[in-house]
Amino acid sequence: MKDKGTTLNPRSSEPDKGKTFSRREFVTSIGGVGIGAVLGGMFVSSIALPDKVFAVPASGGYLLVDTKKCAGCTSCMMACSLTHHGETNMSLSRIQITQDPWGKFPNDIQMAQCRQCPYPACVAACPTGAMHADPKTGVRTVDEDKCIGCEKCVNACPFTPSRALWNFEEKHAEKCDLCEGAKFWDEVGGPDGKRACEEVCPMGAIKFTKEIPVQSEDGYETDLRTGTVWDSLGFGGAPQSGGHLG
Amino acid sequence: MSATLWFNSLTWLVWLAPFAGILAAGVTKRQDPRIEGNRVLRHDTAAIVEHWTHGIATAVLLVSGIALGVLFVPALVGSGRPLWIALDIHFVAVVVFLFGTFYYGANTMLALKRLREHLPTSDAVEFTKRHYGLLLGFKKFTMPPERKYFESEKMAYLMAAATTITIIVTGFVKVAAHSLDVPAGLMSIITPTHDVATVVMLAFILPHIFFAAILPSSWPILRSMFTGHVSLDYAKHEHAGWLAELREADEQGHDGANDDSPIAPKRVA
Repeated sequence: MKDKGTTLNPRSSEPDKGKTFSRREFVTSIGGVGIGAVLGGMFVSSIALPDKVFAVPASGGYLLVDTKKCAGCTSCMMACSLTHHGETNMSLSRIQITQDPWGKFPNDIQMAQCRQCPYPACVAACPTGAMHADPKTGVRTVDEDKCIGCEKCVNACPFTPSRALWNFEEKHAEKCDLCEGAKFWDEVGGPDGKRACEEVCPMGAIKFTKEIPVQSEDGYETDLRTGTVWDSLGFGGAPQSGGHLG
Repeated sequence: MSATLWFNSLTWLVWLAPFAGILAAGVTKRQDPRIEGNRVLRHDTAAIVEHWTHGIATAVLLVSGIALGVLFVPALVGSGRPLWIALDIHFVAVVVFLFGTFYYGANTMLALKRLREHLPTSDAVEFTKRHYGLLLGFKKFTMPPERKYFESEKMAYLMAAATTITIIVTGFVKVAAHSLDVPAGLMSIITPTHDVATVVMLAFILPHIFFAAILPSSWPILRSMFTGHVSLDYAKHEHAGWLAELREADEQGHDGANDDSPIAPKRVA
């Protein structure tokens, strides 16, 4: 730099005769300007930028489950793991069936599927945007490459067990994506395709809908029995009660 | 709901730390090594600060990074709060690491001889062979006239420098991902690169700790990393080439502080 007599001497750290800008001054300036830029940027952003608004589109579909119809065969878990991971590992399944051997029907089985919440706490909690709503379908899903493994989403899910799961083999979060990222045989998945768990359930206890279900704090009020043989058994019509809903 | 990760709420500290290191270097008055009676000034205060901020932060980063278990050891810290504490510890170490590393980098830029004295010379292979031959008890070897740093240390320096640069560049991208929408494809390259560099750093730091802190013959140097001085006898025995350089500079009345002019290395072998 020779502008107006200012010279940056590439060899010396101190000002030489006739040179007004030493290497030391240059380094000091870089540090000072950098600190000023960071602090100034913080100040400007704090007064100029609006408060963050968290908004995500509604999901393109929802899984409905009817615990009274579930036989606890775990076929859905096997199919989920197989289509997503190529192996039948219940720990990798994004839908979890839990059974209480001392419980009495219909409280002996819980079907834990992701509810694709209108306000997805898992998405809100993710620090890197790995857990997100697909911009095309609205399905809440995980970008595995962005996941840092903090498990904020797992803890943020308001349901027990958490619908955001930890893939202990590949070390990232995962959750039900309505098979958007997995094929069932040669069928495409996602809201406009087929879902493995729904396809394999022998009891018809899992159904898919594009309408936002009526939700309570406990889960969807789902009745998949009315109009079936369950009516004649006396189990048709009434929605499930809380406590064991997914 | 848990507290926000410091990587999210205090991200600005990560961007501030490098500039703080650079500014600190700009206002630091360095002292060159010199003979002081029966002892030798080996490290000035700035060198001690550089070493320990960088070194301790590196150790904490390695421990907390591996404990996070993302790709190395599964679930060492469990999930939830212990995991977030490990991430916050990682954050603090990142800030200290960046300050120390950029402080060193800027100091080196101000006096490039400090870089040159770390670079291997044509003596590297021969001196390293003799140095470790003596350590291992082969009597046919004679102590090579090593300069300030052993030639073996200089070779390790190159690996440490390359690894540090890789970790910092990839780390910056990982931090940026907390604020920006970094493409997943880029992250799929950045994250494994960060991890591989971590393994290389681990491969460097463990032998470094052994040879520089655990091995009894290195204790004088370890002590000098706190006091700044080594004894004249130690310098004569272990760093004859360096001592010759200091005597030559002393005879020439070269104060050398913050001066980029190199002290010509003198072959004494």
